[in-house]
This record gives sequence, C-alpha cells and structure tokens, in this order.
Amino acid sequence: MQRSLAVIGAGPAGMAAAIEAVRRGCRVTIIDEAVRPGGQIFRQAHPALRGEEFAEPAELARKHRLLAEFQGVSSKIDYRGEASVYAVFPNGEIHLAQGDATEVLRPDAIILATGVREQVIPFPGWTTPGVMFAGGAQSILKAHRVVPGTNVVIAGCGPLPLIVAAQILRAGGRVAALASLRSLSAMLHHVRGLWHGREIVREGLRYAWTVRRAKVPLLTGYMPVRAIGTERLEAVVLARVDQEGRLLSGSERRIDCDLLAINYGFVANSELAAMAGSEMRRDPVAGGWIPVTDTYGRTSVPGVFVAGDGAGLRGALVAECDGTIVGAAAAMPSSAVDGPTLRAELADAMARRARHLEFQKAVRATLQLPIALWRTVTDETIVCRCENVRFGEIRGALEGGHHSLNAIKRNVRSGMGWCGGRSCLHSVAALTELATGAAPTEMMTPRPMVRPVSFAAIARQRKVEAR
Amino acid sequence: MKNGKFDVLIIGAGAYGLSCAWWMAKRRSGARILVVDEGEFASGASGRNGAGFRMQWGLDLNIRLCQESTQFFENAAEHLDYPRGIELKQDGYLVLAHSEKAMTTLRGSLEIQHRYGVPSELFSAEDCIRMVPALGRNRLVGGTFCGKDGTISPFLLLDSLLKACRRENVDVRYGTRVEKLERFGGGFNVRFRDGVIEADKILLCTDWAVPELLASLGISLPVKSLPKEAIVTVPCAPRVKPILISLEHHISVNQVSRGSIIFVVSRAREGQEIASTPDFLAFAAPKVIDLLPGVADVPVLRTWGGVSSLTPDMQPILGETEIEGLYVAVSSFRGLMTSPAVGRIMSALILENDTNDPVLTQLTPRRFQTGNLIMEPLLNQE
Repeated sequence: MQRSLAVIGAGPAGMAAAIEAVRRGCRVTIIDEAVRPGGQIFRQAHPALRGEEFAEPAELARKHRLLAEFQGVSSKIDYRGEASVYAVFPNGEIHLAQGDATEVLRPDAIILATGVREQVIPFPGWTTPGVMFAGGAQSILKAHRVVPGTNVVIAGCGPLPLIVAAQILRAGGRVAALASLRSLSAMLHHVRGLWHGREIVREGLRYAWTVRRAKVPLLTGYMPVRAIGTERLEAVVLARVDQEGRLLSGSERRIDCDLLAINYGFVANSELAAMAGSEMRRDPVAGGWIPVTDTYGRTSVPGVFVAGDGAGLRGALVAECDGTIVGAAAAMPSSAVDGPTLRAELADAMARRARHLEFQKAVRATLQLPIALWRTVTDETIVCRCENVRFGEIRGALEGGHHSLNAIKRNVRSGMGWCGGRSCLHSVAALTELATGAAPTEMMTPRPMVRPVSFAAIARQRKVEAR
Repeated sequence: MKNGKFDVLIIGAGAYGLSCAWWMAKRRSGARILVVDEGEFASGASGRNGAGFRMQWGLDLNIRLCQESTQFFENAAEHLDYPRGIELKQDGYLVLAHSEKAMTTLRGSLEIQHRYGVPSELFSAEDCIRMVPALGRNRLVGGTFCGKDGTISPFLLLDSLLKACRRENVDVRYGTRVEKLERFGGGFNVRFRDGVIEADKILLCTDWAVPELLASLGISLPVKSLPKEAIVTVPCAPRVKPILISLEHHISVNQVSRGSIIFVVSRAREGQEIASTPDFLAFAAPKVIDLLPGVADVPVLRTWGGVSSLTPDMQPILGETEIEGLYVAVSSFRGLMTSPAVGRIMSALILENDTNDPVLTQLTPRRFQTGNLIMEPLLNQE
C-alpha cells in the first residue's frame, strides 16, 4: 500500500523532502501557512509582482530551481496553503486549520520542517510599531516588493542584518545605520568553512559592497538600548556594549528612523516536535530547545522526523540537502532506513550537506551571544509582549525561588499569552541563566494550540484516516 | 536533604498542603514543619483548575467550607501579607439547568443555601439570558445565581501561601519525592533520594495520589483519579460576566479579567494523564457552542489538562487514618476553593487534636467502612 507522508512547512527543507518522498512513491501532503511554497528564504510574491533584483542572482537561481523542481511534482502533492498545524500529538495525529474548518491527518510519517523564528534582546520600546525583525522586513520585501519603512536602522548579529540592509538599499530604501554586535570578520578564523561556502561568501561580499557604496554608517559593537516614539517609531538610541554587557557611557547615539529591523539570532520552531513527545536538547546558538535527531532526521518518536533549521540552525543550503535525506528516510518503512542501500543512495546529498555544514561553523561564530549581553535588559523592559510582562516582574519571580520556565510563567504570565511563549521563551531562559548562573533545563511546556482556532472551526472537523 | 526531625511532614505543596502548613505554623510558632512536593511550583491540580470559588452547593458541609474560605479570599492580601493580592473577582456564579430535573435540584439546594445565609437567588431562563446574552436558549430552564461567588488566581494564592509559609519558617521543598514511608516508634521514618527524616505526624495532601502512599503502609482509601481538560480562548470583549456551570453540559465557564474565557470540560475518563488528548477539542467544541452560541467565533488559544481526585461520594476526605498520626486531606475536585477552611480545620486537628468541627465527622476517612455516604447534588460530574 502507498505510504502516506505529511510535511509541515514548505521552505527548502520541506519542499526537498516532499520532492524526494514523491519520487519514492509516497502520497505527500505538505502544509504551509503561506499561500505559495518557498518558506521564509524563498518566499514568493504574487506572480503579478515584478522586480526581485534586490536579491543576488545566484540566490534567485537556487530559489527558482527548487521551486521549479517542486512545481514539477506538484500534481502528485496535496499542497495545503494558508493552513496552520495547531497540534501534533504523540499518537501521530496532525491537527490543522484551513479556512473555517479543521482537519485531522494520520499519515504514516510526519516531517516537521518548521524552520526558525527570529530573536530579540529586549530593550525599552522594542514593541513600538516600527520595530520589527530583520527577516520580517525582508519577508515584506520579498512577498510584497515593498520596503516597510522610509528610513531604516538595522541592528543585530550574524549575516542577516547585512543582507537585509543591502536588499533594502537595492530596492530603493534608505538605511540610516547598520549596527552589528560583532564584525563578520569573526568568520575569517574558519578558513575551511569559508572555502566550502565560497559561493555564499561571494554573494555576501556583493551585499557588503552595496552597503559600503551607499556609505551606510556601520556601528560595530552597538545595540539598540531604547526605541523612541509612542504611536510610531521616531528614533532609536544605540549604544556600545562590551563583552560583559556593560553599556559604555557616552557612547549613546540617537538616530532618527521609522523602521528598526533587528535580528539577534534564531529560535527553532520546535513546539510541534516537543508536543509530539520528542526528546529535546538545548543549544542557544542553534535555536534554543531543539529536537534530538539522527543523521536521517529521526526523533525519539517513531514516525516523527525533523528536517532543516528546526533541527538546529544550519541555513537554507543545508536545509535543502537535509530535506532530501529526511524525505528519503521517511519514505521508507522504518526497518529499511538503517540498511546500506539508503546510505549509498544518499551519499551525494550527505556529502553536500557535510560541505555546507562546514560553512555553517563559520556563520555560527558570528551568532554567539555572550549571556552578559542580557544585562542590558532593565526592570522596565517588556520581555513577554503578549502579556506585557516586564523584566522587573520576572526578576521578582526568580528572587522568589521560581527558576523553571513553567514556574516563572505561572507566577508572572510570561508565555501565557497569544504566542504561547514563542517570543519570550529564549529571553526568559537567558535572563534566568544570567540571574541564577544555570540555564533552565526544560522549555515551557508547549501545548495545543500552536495557532488560535475558533470553536466553530474545531466543530467543523474532517478526520482523514490515511491508513 | 539534611536528616532531621520534624513535628509534621506534609506531602504535597498544592493549595491544601500549603494552607495546612501555614495554619499550623500560625497556630504553633516554632513547630517544625516540612512540606515536600515531587513536582515544581503549582504544577499539580491546584494550578490547573478553573480558578473559581462558590458557596452554591447542595450540602451543608460544602456550603460551610466555602463560606469560610470565601471570607478568607476576600481578605487574603491582609491574612497572607501579600500586597499584590490574589486577583479576587466576585462577579458571581450562575448555575444553569437545562432540564426540569436539574431545576428541581437547584431549587432544593437554594433552600439549604438560604438556611446558611448564602445570598443566592433563583433565575428564570430569561433572567439567565439577560445576564449572559451569549447563552443559547436550547433546553435552558433556568438557574441560580450568587453574586458573592467568584474567582481568584490559583498561582497567586499558591505563591502568597508559599511566601507566608517560608516567613513562618516552614521548610517547603519542590522536586522532592518520598521514596519510602514507614512507621518508626510512635512516628514515621521517611526516606528521600538524598536523606532520611523522622516525623511525628504526616499529612498526605497529594490528592489523587494518596492511595499510592497509603498502600506502602498497608492501608487503602477509595480515591480515584479523574483527568479533566480545560480550554482558554484569546482575550475577547466581555461576553460572560459571571462564572457559568452547566450541570448537563458538564462545563464550567470563566471569563477572566484579561478577557480570556476558560472552559473546564469534564468527560468520563480515568487515568493520571495531564497532557491534552487528541480528540478533546472536537468533543468539547460542539458542547461549548450549544451552551454559548455567542462564543463560536472566539479563537481557542490553548488547552491543558489536570487530574483531580474522585471519591465514591464526591466529597473530600479529611481526618486521621486508621494509623495513628497519619492524616489525609483529599479534595475531590474543590481543593482550591476550600483550602483556607481545610487548612484551619486540619491544623487544629493535627496540632491540638481538636475534633469539634462537624465537617470532620462528615468527612472522616472511616465513613467508607460504615457506608454513611451523602452525595453532593450540585456537581457537573458524572
């Protein structure tokens, strides 16, 4: 009987997994919250919108090759756009909402390709309209061909702020400053990684050239300490911080802007994996709590796989190879995965993945955030934006002896709001580590729903028994 | 854990355990009291319930336990020296009947409530809908309402009790599991993974898990576990001012001050599983919509589960077991709302051997041998 597979997330990992599984004869359903496949990195605009020249040609070539390949097998894939998976249960059920109804799927295997979200080091005013994540601003540019501000400050660490700054400039926007915690030259220590990633390095250098030619002020070692504006962002105050998280006095600089785009690393969208019962581990640079997986993306739960960044931040190139490998493994009966045949068939994808992983070691160096940086969070700073919980309240709970994320949540409500802790999970964990000297061992318990769904939609539920 | 000698060991740091500990410390200053809990703060049933308290019951003992507890909640900030308060809200409970039979039960209960001075009143179906326009008319017969009933924050009650206990030098330890319990001399020897203590007296406040601990001492009590699940919605405009209980839908509804609506939905099930079950929402959603069509469009934010204790007569068990010095306080799913009164009564019993409170006669663990059981009619339980 034909094996059924559900892939959650249609970014590079999810698309590659779906393509591979279809080729191996599986019946594949792929579920994504966007209208069209692509994920964050390969986000597609409405076909009528033109002008994608802000991105590097090589990156666009990769995007269009993968999308074309996916298109090629799409007649054999059940693509569910604008659909949200709101729970995955240990019994293998996927609950999804689409339109005004819900549906329960029970496939033979599940591939979670849910990627990562961005991270903030909270500062007073970071919830002001006009402050957004750098990748979020980039998504608006990719999907709608609009620069979401007229005068932009970009702040963060790692390569994304530079790329977003260059793309905004190429799309005709104005960048008032680029504040990087650390120079990307930290990557230079990883010669081998740079060699393996030379294609990407070349694209990066071109982005850097764009920023340089536009004479964008580069503020290395600075981070935002205050956003100014009530109804809308008017300016940001940046200051220099040392490795101990101390703000250097006199280094404050106010820069007018109507968009502040930030990115301080990434957090894995690992809630569904945890909900399914997977064993988790914590690696702050790779995305916080991430499911424990093996080379084929198998979690500790039989039939539940993870592909791409959701299994640890590794970038789009790794994600695509990973998708192929995990898609192939999930397409096999579990007893056949460990045999020599599959490994031989996947030798090429595995070699490519290993090569790209070398480059990721270099990228990783730029994403290290000393825990002391969280000292910049003041008592008045909002940490949990859904429930408006300020750090002072969290500090109170910590001082009251509540050191686990669940206990802190029960005391001050951080993580109890709309997003279920997705925005503040990493902040509260880092602040706990800073205050107590030990990082919490457990993430906040993720529970259904990952996305809110109305009673009416739940009452209109279709149950698909795929077996 | 340091080895040591304690006057009283309380196992379970939920509302019952912490309240009993605090009352004991107040009653006898210098008493050596240890509270242990194998979970973390508020991780058990006391932190997983619908957050309500009510005086609308059909039996004198529940009415009196809750009257006393309500008065305590009204002054909790002062009693527990907790200026933040426990988010007390007294918007009332509206108990709904969707059949003549249920309505008759409500009328009977109202009489008893009035005997004890509970300010409850009889509502027609129209009265109910006037108070909560989101209610459905389907089969609705009427209800009773008491404006003094309401809600508190379970987390803040537990945190205020915990802090008050620690101020009184009560030793409260989370993540501490009792490995072995045995009688020793006139008291008990209790082994933990990292130490052994002696205790003159032991009070079990582990609710549904009480039988497991009793079994190690060779005695038993008919306490079962009943998993329940709850739903919380995203914050929305005020639609449900009082707390609702529907005896026939087996649902309670509480719109908290932030705007989220909490539904606790019961269904016949057994087990000790606190995780949400896959088919729960599909089971609950049609019932919620039938009861309150006005919330059909409200998005569900999250679900969670909890386990409560269930006794044969659905009443708490309070008192000394057949082993001298070994006490139990089992809530039978009203632990949060009765915890202040139970703390007072149990502390007097354990420290002063005060057996005067009539509740102790009605709720004694021995009643299951004599067969003298009285059911509480006002429960949305099967």
